[in-house]
Amino acid sequence: MDSKRRNGVATNLPPSKRLQATNGPPVVPAEPMDEEDEDVFLEETLLRDEELHEFGNVNLASQLARWRRPAVANFDPQAHDIVFQQLEIDYVVGESHKELCPNRSGPAAVLRMFGVTQDGNSVCCHVHGFEPYFYISCLDGIGPDDVPKFRSTLESRMREANRNSRSQLFITKIEIVQKRSIMYFQVQKARSFLKIFVGLPTMVAGCRGILERGINIEGLGQRCFLTYESNVLFALRFMIDCDVVGGNWIELPAGSYKDSQTRKSYCQLDVDVLYSKLISHPPVGQYSKLAPFRILSFDIECAGRKGHFPEPEQDPVIQIANLVTVQGEQKPMVRNVMTLKSCSPIVGASVMSFDSEREVLLAWRDLVREVDPDVIIGYNICKFDLPYLIERAETLKVNEFPILGRIRNSRLRIRDTSFSSRQYGIRESKEVTIEGRVQFDLLQAMQRDYKLSSYSLNSVSAHFLGEQKEDVHHSIISDLQNGNPETRRRLAVYCLKDAYLPQRLLDKLMYVYNYVEMARVTGVPISFLLARGQSIKVLSQILRKSKQRGLLVPNMKAQGAGQGESFEGATVLEAKSGFYEKPIATLDFASLYPSIMMAYNLCYCTLVRAEDQHKLNLPAESVTKTPSGEIFVKPTLEKGILPEILEELLAARKRAKADLKEATDPLEKAVLDGRQLALKVSANSVYGFTGATIGQLPCLEISSSVTSFGRQMIEHTKKLVQDNFNVSNGYSHDSEVVYGDTDSVMVQFGVPSVEEAMKLGREAAEQISNTFTKPIKLEFEKVYWPYLLISKKRYAGLLWTKTEKYDKMDTKGIETVRRDNCLLVKNLVTECLHKILIDRNIPGAVQFVKNTISDLLMNRMDLSLLVITKGLTKSGEDYANKSAHVELAERMRKRDAATAPSVGDRVPYVIIKAAKGAKAYEKSEDPIYVLENNIPIDPQYYLENQLSKPLLRIFDPILKNASRELLHGSHTRSVSISTPSNSGIMKFAKKRASCIGCRTPITEENQTLCIHCKGREAELYQKTVTNVRDLEQLFGRLWTQCQRCQGSLHQDVLCTSRDCPIFYRRKKAQKDLAEAEVQLERWDF
Amino acid sequence: MDTGAVLPRKQADYICRDERYCLSMQRYKGQQYSQLYFFRLHTIRQNLLSRVQERWPSLPVCKILGLEEGQLCVVVGTLYKQMQLKPSILEEYSKERSVVPLATPNKFTHNDDYLIMEDESGRVKLIRDANLPSFYVTGVVVAVCGKEEKDGEFFVQEILEPGLPPQIPLPSAVSFDEEKFVVFASGLKIGGESTNPLELQLLLDHLTGHLGEEEEQSLSSQIVRVVIAGGSVDLQTSLSNGQPLSGREQTKLVEPIRELDLALTQLAAAMPVDIMPGPNDPANYSLPQQPLHRCLFPGASLYNTFVSATNPHQFELDGALFLGTSGQNIEDLEKYSEAEERLDFMERTLVWRHLAPTAPDTLGCYPFTDRDPFILEMCPHVYFCGNQPSYASRLLKGPSGQQVRLICIPSFQETSSVVLVSLKTWDSHILTFSANSFQP
Repeated sequence: MDSKRRNGVATNLPPSKRLQATNGPPVVPAEPMDEEDEDVFLEETLLRDEELHEFGNVNLASQLARWRRPAVANFDPQAHDIVFQQLEIDYVVGESHKELCPNRSGPAAVLRMFGVTQDGNSVCCHVHGFEPYFYISCLDGIGPDDVPKFRSTLESRMREANRNSRSQLFITKIEIVQKRSIMYFQVQKARSFLKIFVGLPTMVAGCRGILERGINIEGLGQRCFLTYESNVLFALRFMIDCDVVGGNWIELPAGSYKDSQTRKSYCQLDVDVLYSKLISHPPVGQYSKLAPFRILSFDIECAGRKGHFPEPEQDPVIQIANLVTVQGEQKPMVRNVMTLKSCSPIVGASVMSFDSEREVLLAWRDLVREVDPDVIIGYNICKFDLPYLIERAETLKVNEFPILGRIRNSRLRIRDTSFSSRQYGIRESKEVTIEGRVQFDLLQAMQRDYKLSSYSLNSVSAHFLGEQKEDVHHSIISDLQNGNPETRRRLAVYCLKDAYLPQRLLDKLMYVYNYVEMARVTGVPISFLLARGQSIKVLSQILRKSKQRGLLVPNMKAQGAGQGESFEGATVLEAKSGFYEKPIATLDFASLYPSIMMAYNLCYCTLVRAEDQHKLNLPAESVTKTPSGEIFVKPTLEKGILPEILEELLAARKRAKADLKEATDPLEKAVLDGRQLALKVSANSVYGFTGATIGQLPCLEISSSVTSFGRQMIEHTKKLVQDNFNVSNGYSHDSEVVYGDTDSVMVQFGVPSVEEAMKLGREAAEQISNTFTKPIKLEFEKVYWPYLLISKKRYAGLLWTKTEKYDKMDTKGIETVRRDNCLLVKNLVTECLHKILIDRNIPGAVQFVKNTISDLLMNRMDLSLLVITKGLTKSGEDYANKSAHVELAERMRKRDAATAPSVGDRVPYVIIKAAKGAKAYEKSEDPIYVLENNIPIDPQYYLENQLSKPLLRIFDPILKNASRELLHGSHTRSVSISTPSNSGIMKFAKKRASCIGCRTPITEENQTLCIHCKGREAELYQKTVTNVRDLEQLFGRLWTQCQRCQGSLHQDVLCTSRDCPIFYRRKKAQKDLAEAEVQLERWDF
Repeated sequence: MDTGAVLPRKQADYICRDERYCLSMQRYKGQQYSQLYFFRLHTIRQNLLSRVQERWPSLPVCKILGLEEGQLCVVVGTLYKQMQLKPSILEEYSKERSVVPLATPNKFTHNDDYLIMEDESGRVKLIRDANLPSFYVTGVVVAVCGKEEKDGEFFVQEILEPGLPPQIPLPSAVSFDEEKFVVFASGLKIGGESTNPLELQLLLDHLTGHLGEEEEQSLSSQIVRVVIAGGSVDLQTSLSNGQPLSGREQTKLVEPIRELDLALTQLAAAMPVDIMPGPNDPANYSLPQQPLHRCLFPGASLYNTFVSATNPHQFELDGALFLGTSGQNIEDLEKYSEAEERLDFMERTLVWRHLAPTAPDTLGCYPFTDRDPFILEMCPHVYFCGNQPSYASRLLKGPSGQQVRLICIPSFQETSSVVLVSLKTWDSHILTFSANSFQP
């Protein structure tokens, strides 16, 4: 794909859409939309023979050979079927196969399916004979006789446009077919379309351009054409036409395929087949399982220079750790680390050491080739590890390195891409193509699927695996590498762990199952799921459905829709904020938006255009007018495609859930759960697809109808609840709707017990459901009791689904995970909610807040609770505005360039007290520096900028004058500020001993107490010794914890993970203890 | 109760051997615990190697890194017990507060615990039958014989412990025909809510010879020393909750210490007294605990019979070696391993040649960089342990003629008992005081 073009595409949503995006079902995220094919000519990627050096190291080769795949049992193309699970499909331009396609010659697109058989043998299947094509609508008057003329005109226009092309033939065939456009309801069932076949996939785009701009056809004049299905990627086109879905099983019947003579790939089975001969199995029954494919998880370490993030032009790759796991097995089959220079052995892992970087790189290439992984995973491999290795090999001129794919002698392709979105800004990154191997970067998956406060591998593993890893700063890595075999071993263990954690995450989050299921449900290749957006998944389903019905999807992108067009978002009922001590029942619409689309048959092909309304003269009973004023026909006239897709998705989900209940095998359960989740996400993304104005097929008539129905239903529900459940209808209390969001309504029925609220909730849900068109259904799910409603989208409460005990505390929109908050905010908010909701102790919560604020002002707060962290994404000059963390990084660089954070690091800081009028960005300081120099923090900043807002949000509905009570009470009067040990004034101060009891200066040396305190000696000593006791206890616990974490008793702790919650405490404990001891010693005279 | 005749108190030669537990001028300057483990492994390995040589003369001794798959060999290293229930400070800080507050258990063992052996070169997981991990704790140095399995785990055939350290023979009957007793007390808990001051006074009067007929008095005159093994006061720590204290509360805080000083003064006036700091005494927290400061005892410290000792405390009495702790080491073993009775734990520490193997992992400990003071070089004749739930005693005999009297000293507050050890027969008895019958 052309990266420049990608840049140019505005991928932003209009403001109204953005509002929508935070509200209700998932919406298509901003993403590069211009999906186009890129023709790669096979010869171009191959290395010339003179560049190749085969295995040089015999010893290494034999070591690696033990990890080979099981050998292929006697195999005869005439007698044996090949059945394999395909994981990756791509195509390449090469010579067409003479035997299979005798009628063609010259370059042709050959599809390649890569996969694994049940026995674990790798397969590369070259599919021949499938040609790229698209449609245009046939103008009135073009008949079969006009086709040859049309073809020759188009052919010559194409030849003009591609003078340098080697192709002899551009337009290979044109057929007249009877189809219909998916857009708008039409009475006429079929019209003539031209199906234009072209020579190579990229020609589709070129040809489309010519036709859209206009072409002069003899006898007809200059005409523009609307093209259909001209934006479908070639691989996807093939999959749709052959009913292949991502990750399904393919069967090549005996005799139908040919063993490839030339062996173009490294796969064990390398065969050629005609596309019409392969059998694609739907993923059900025995074909729902997964093949034993191989997953390689790897991580590299580089020795960066002090103060710089490693750069491939300068810094060597020193270690590569590898972990190979066979899908479905518990333990990895390979644990290996390759090191530059000698390294002591590691129990349970194979260590391979080399003297030169070149050897390390080549050894890794050989490992990849021998192990032959189907999936390559890691953490940030797509943006860091893989490009780094390739660029490093380029720098070192190791030309034969980048043959990591499955095609013989074919080198990796690397290209710059940029990803722009309103949320993240423009991000430059690199995309590496490894032919035949799926890349799965856990970092990308995490960023896509989870909202976390930090995406470092450390904090992600702490979050999901409950496991901390020691974090070695990249400035220490060089020191370890330059040490001895023992220090390099230390590094290798660390590197191995970094390769191990992604695998653990993959297992724990069941990514393999979820993503394979998602690919199967939506029908796209697995590699699309991470690299591309939501819309391609929906498009794939629409195309498949359309094909069955003889409908064609127009290429609508050029219509310029979306500029200024907008529609109203979902409704949010006014929140009656307050603290509700009676149970609040929640009535939810199950899958609201999909249900609406199904209930009212909303689709492209059921929409009646305004201009058609009179022309068609449809009877009123067979159309639906939506609240937003659009007209859609009812299913009696035409069943919509989208409702049909949704029905199938939801029916499949129901089945999966039913199967899940009955399944006993944990693996089967994992697959089914992955499937039902994939189905749910897919159903929800259909609505978003119609509303994405820069998407493939936007149709705002549909999306605005959906939201308008949604609003109507919420209002309707509110009215029914309040009209029916009141005293005049015989209920004990009047009910009240306190809040309503996109697809749920919160009702206070007024009854005091959870049980009664549940009963009424069920009754209301059933009653109101009956007034809706099926399948829209209102469900009663849960009761909140008590319920703290702060404002719209912000609430907290104890959630009950059964009468005996609450399930959990549920909070929405209350900052507990925001990145730019310090830990104190999170702890305080959590603790307050806990006290208010669970302990029902509001005075206790108030007291807790006061104590915390007092601790903050009295300088008793633990520093690590105050640390704020921000990522340094670019260097200081590139930031337009000054900001705290960037300024700090600059200042730290001046102090010590070696340890200062560099681009890509996260910068932790605290806000310190500074001169009056100092700008906020000048007040940031390194927490370690603050600890070492006793620099006072700025409690007012924390009080006003961090604590006050979240606190008042919680307490405003509960307390009168919350602000005065909490933030300005008597507890804020006493303040203590530490004296910095490095400030100017201290240089002039003279140190004098003072009495420990009353701080009176003592004149005599070697005294602890003044005369007046002498009698309190025992008491004061006790106080000092108690302080030492507490610190000693803390010290011991902290440092032994770090030993456990690093997994060694006999080696010093090196970890400098600033994401770790105890990192600063550890430092502080060490320092405080030393000080406390000095105090204690004063008694020893 | 005036008998006229004055019974002279018997004497015994006393040498304090606390030097190794003194922290004199050691400071916290950023040391870590790795050095301590290193010295422990290094020292005990020396002892173990000769035993390994005897036990498996033909087997190679390997470093963990040098292990080869399938080869039978011996490895010496420090054990680390992986325990899922072990409390973690990290979790306390990082985990969201759970809705149901966790009860803090006193036992952290679990069926899924497993042992890892570590030396300077690396770690390996040990596998054998399931009850192996429940016996050992983190920090013990042992030799294991076995072989590395396919997946990098080490299958253990046999474990060899360092065994009882050598013992200096008891001096040949200097004056052992004469009966002498040492009294061990612990857990006086002065100032505690359930402490009965009357029982303490009974104890004091008995020891000082102010009670009973001549028979009792002559018994008390045979007591040559009293050792108080920690837990002497019960300080109301709940008073100081971060809030500044009023003057009255502050004096309340020191009241128990003042009472303790009075009691010690009475004792010291009559006989030699050793006082050791214990888990909740006003001394430092980490082992070795340093002597209670003399300024806490303005009265007793005037007597030269008053000795403020370290914990652990080691001394010679008439040439016999006494060693003991205020109980933290055994308490920690109880939390992290299994045994039938407390004496078994005590016996294990002797056989492991280490007084407190769980320090520093779960037991607070000073980060020594030049030694490990808890390694046992000499086998004591009497090994005592304070603040135990009940009295127990056993004579342990070693393969090379060692004889050790193991004593669990019960907490006085809970049992109203102290322990008497005879320097003649090396037997021990329990002495119980009851003030109940005196109450109306």
